[in-house]
Amino acid sequence: MPGNILKHQAVILAACLLLPGLGSAADAALRLPDGRPDFSGLWLGGGGIRGIKPGDEMIMTPWAREIYDYRTDPDGNAANEDPNLMCLPSGVPRMSPYPWRIVQTPMNPDESHIFILFEGNIHSYRQIFMDGRAHTENPDPTWYGESIGWYEGDTLVVDTIGYNDKTWFSFQGHPHSEALHTVERFTRVDASTLSWEITIEDPVAYEKPFTVQTEAKILAGELMEYICTENNTNIGNMRGPARNPGN
Amino acid sequence: MKNTTNLLFTALAVLLLAAPVARAHHAFSAEYDVNQVMEVTGTVTLVEWTNPHVRFYVDVTGDDGEVVNWDFELQSVNTLVRAGWSRDALKAGDVVTVVAYKARNGSKRANARGSVVKADGTQLFAGDPTAQ
Repeated sequence: MPGNILKHQAVILAACLLLPGLGSAADAALRLPDGRPDFSGLWLGGGGIRGIKPGDEMIMTPWAREIYDYRTDPDGNAANEDPNLMCLPSGVPRMSPYPWRIVQTPMNPDESHIFILFEGNIHSYRQIFMDGRAHTENPDPTWYGESIGWYEGDTLVVDTIGYNDKTWFSFQGHPHSEALHTVERFTRVDASTLSWEITIEDPVAYEKPFTVQTEAKILAGELMEYICTENNTNIGNMRGPARNPGN
Repeated sequence: MKNTTNLLFTALAVLLLAAPVARAHHAFSAEYDVNQVMEVTGTVTLVEWTNPHVRFYVDVTGDDGEVVNWDFELQSVNTLVRAGWSRDALKAGDVVTVVAYKARNGSKRANARGSVVKADGTQLFAGDPTAQ
């Protein structure tokens, strides 16, 4: 009977609309065949510590403030101590203004790694363990830290500890300590837009955690090589391993 | 060889990349002084098409007849290539007029993001002056 058919159609339609995932930002074109969100593409932008989420604040501790004041002293020379000038890594979340890629690996049967490839800065990569492992107990401090990741719906979540204290968050010199813990959330909003949120927690350097909301856009083309050390004439300003003042 | 028919462009062509506008990298102001502007004409002796900065060197003859070789810095290869330039744009032997910002330390080095114009009037490397 027509009434029953209409009722069935309505039920089916309602079910379709309510099923999770449908109508989400990552439509079929933005998914890998296995259903994971597709992060492929050449991205440009995002990162850094500008764009603090409304309601959050970046409040330096006295420890951090002293370092920041030293680095930003207009009569000082600390600007030349920026590790970037010595072709050392930018760490997280500082980004050079060059493109980058998120490289997912096949489900075999599970995804083992995701790599973030950087064109700029030191033309290197970040490695994210996707196999469900926990963080190690006391990782050796490194420039990019130890990252573990997982998906929450269409969002890639990356949790990182084990940073050294040698990178600057910004060119001004916002510092951080080895206590830094970041949680990043990558979401492909549409075909050309990537939302990249970074929550920074570092009780030694900042009074409370804060979240930065940034965005990357698709750039046409490919990664180019960028070997910072091939003609870095800043050599005259180099002085030993990157270190905080007083170390 | 001086060329008196140069067209000098002081306006900058700003090329907007897809990225958010890059603020002037602090390394620029740490090394160069935007208030110390120089303008010279001379012959290119060498082009280093490298990262992190393309560099080119110019023999400039002073009023006293003495030749000084200036070391000019540009953006990276990557930035220049994406702005449409190639490593053939400038060659040793080319005559150029350069508007540049001098190094703070008094050396014969400057940042040529002001303007680089060839003898035939072609403006080279125009782009976002604040890009790396």
